Amino acid sequence: MIQKKICMLGGFAVGKTSLVARYVSSIFSDKYLSTVGVKIDKKQLNVDGKDVTMMLWDIYGQDDFQTVQPSQLRGMSGYLLVVDGTRRATLETARQLQAKATEAVGPVPFILLLNKLDLAAQWEIDEPAFFKLVEDGWRVVRTSAKTGEGVEEAFELLARAMLR
Amino acid sequence: MAAADDDDGIGSLRAILLAPEQRQLEELQVRLDDRDRRAHDIGEVLPLVLREHAHDPQLARALTPPLEEAITASVKRNPKPLADALFPVMGPAIRKAVSASLASMVESFNRTLEQAFSRRSIRWRLEAMRTGKSFAEVVMLKTLLYRVEQAFLIDRRSGLLLQHVQAGSGVVQDADMVSGMLTAIRDFVQDSFKVSETDSLEALKVGELSVWIEPGPQAIVAAVIRGSAPRDFRPTLQDAVETIHLQFGDLLERFEGDASTLEPARPTLEACLQQQYRAEERKPRTTAAWAFAVVVALVLSAWTGLAWRSQARDQRYLDALRAEPGLTVVSSERRGGKLVVTGLRDPLAKDPLAVATAAGIDAAGIDGRWTAYQALEPSLVLARATRILQPPAGVTLSLADGVLSFTGAAPGAWIAEARRTAPLIAGVSAFDPLLAMIAIIESPSLLFHKGTPILVPGQDAEVQRLAETLRDFDARAAAAGQRFAIEIVGHTDAEGPDETNLPLSKARADAVRDAIAPKPFTNVTITTNGVGSREPAVGPRDSPSSLGAGQNEADNQRNRRVTLRVSRLTGGPR
Repeated sequence: MIQKKICMLGGFAVGKTSLVARYVSSIFSDKYLSTVGVKIDKKQLNVDGKDVTMMLWDIYGQDDFQTVQPSQLRGMSGYLLVVDGTRRATLETARQLQAKATEAVGPVPFILLLNKLDLAAQWEIDEPAFFKLVEDGWRVVRTSAKTGEGVEEAFELLARAMLR
Repeated sequence: MAAADDDDGIGSLRAILLAPEQRQLEELQVRLDDRDRRAHDIGEVLPLVLREHAHDPQLARALTPPLEEAITASVKRNPKPLADALFPVMGPAIRKAVSASLASMVESFNRTLEQAFSRRSIRWRLEAMRTGKSFAEVVMLKTLLYRVEQAFLIDRRSGLLLQHVQAGSGVVQDADMVSGMLTAIRDFVQDSFKVSETDSLEALKVGELSVWIEPGPQAIVAAVIRGSAPRDFRPTLQDAVETIHLQFGDLLERFEGDASTLEPARPTLEACLQQQYRAEERKPRTTAAWAFAVVVALVLSAWTGLAWRSQARDQRYLDALRAEPGLTVVSSERRGGKLVVTGLRDPLAKDPLAVATAAGIDAAGIDGRWTAYQALEPSLVLARATRILQPPAGVTLSLADGVLSFTGAAPGAWIAEARRTAPLIAGVSAFDPLLAMIAIIESPSLLFHKGTPILVPGQDAEVQRLAETLRDFDARAAAAGQRFAIEIVGHTDAEGPDETNLPLSKARADAVRDAIAPKPFTNVTITTNGVGSREPAVGPRDSPSSLGAGQNEADNQRNRRVTLRVSRLTGGPR
């Protein structure tokens, strides 16, 4: 049994908590998020015959008043960077967070989640922007916390990347 | 050339100035290069080092692994030396362990008893009922000072759970997540209050529970404590953290998510699961146990006594039943607090419950299951015959060897009816109206004065009755058409010769014949005979006597007699 710490990073209201809620059933209340700034959940999965326990650290959204603490990132083996497809500004926040994470723990695997796929019509992040990310070598998965589309795949992709 | 001279000069100078030091250096070099010498040197100081650092925990921990290895290897090679060395220690140790575990058993027994019977425990039971907690839980909460319920070993960087131990089998929240959350909270506190790196969250407290946190460089030990632990529990945690870092420092540093590598740290964590109960007011603890033992003994002996008494009572009843004619006990057992008796009962037999009452036994405790049958015991056959034949007043039935007969004056019609009916009665083979009279005629012995044919006084009534019976007998024999012979036999005691005794005995028989049958009967022939002392009523005794031939006077008197023998000549069942 391998355990891995994974962080959910992303701007305010991009849907991190909803993604986690879609993926696991939680024992802690969401109110921890606004008080301690972190909520922790657990997901066990089997990747290529290996049992992996992922401890998901859902970190309170980044905005002007809230900054991610390096201590929260310490010891993580990978992270999911969540962007709200309908708000272009959240992609910029994600870039800053990615830089911060690399600074804190070094180059660990991460996946960029373009969330709110169910609202694709209102997306501000268009095809060119998407391909730009892919060209930069980022792994990108389009997800919808509402319909569940892409969520499992994103977590599995990260798990596989971490075990490699 | 000059330079070479200079070099030589300096060399010589150095040789002159530093020769002794040079030699010392060379000697030291030799000493350091020589392994044997070095070993010798270290050997000289090693005991000193060990002695000086005996109480240094670092040394103890460092020495533990090689010592363990050495002992393991020694046992593998040959366990005997170690066994021999340990032998004097093992015996006392085992005894101590046994007595300690016995003591703790008695202790917990006492605790249970005290709690089972005290007023306090009733209060606690009520509380348990009210709150829906188990009684054990309430007792624990009330008597517990503190108990370390869980201990976590947590990776300091990632907050991942390395190991988790818990006391008892209580349900715990997912330890993985608790571990992560604890780390997050710790970080949160540290970040929020901008304290220095060396200061960190030491404890959390929520109601009855508190979490004590002891950080190490790589890992954190967190203990979940119910109740209030004393301050001196902190060093236990610190010790655990130090020990784990010393033993598994490398593993902690290289931790990549596989917690199973830290399985060996569990015993150290388990050592943190301590608990302490409130000290009870120290009354002698054994009282309750003794009181309980006495109560048990009393109850047991009372029970045994009651069981024995009831068994004895049952036996008495069964014996009484068995003694009663017409009642046959087949089986008996105690069932549902009652004595169940199964058996056969003649309708004429005594009521079994009346038998119980007569034996002083409460009939309510008896369940009799009786099947009717006809008993062949003479008393019951007689009772049955009496019931069926309804003898007239003054007539008494008698039974001998299955032959029914009677005495007393009975009308001819009744005799005829009885003769017909009697053989149909169970247990009766025949009816003989004369048989009972024969028995009466043959029963007496008439006694005589010594050496004379004169009856001993006081036998007149007997003679008279015999005479009447004979007349009756003759009449009844005539009615039945039967003929009898009665032989009157005279006897003497053993004193004197046959020449005198034989005539004397004959004279006695004749005297009786004259008294009871002065006239001849129609159906009964009377003869007399004298046998002297040949058929004594009482034979010679072993003990010698002054009165001759081993006889005493009482015996002699009983032998001086006349007897009657009745024999049937024609007809009848006999």
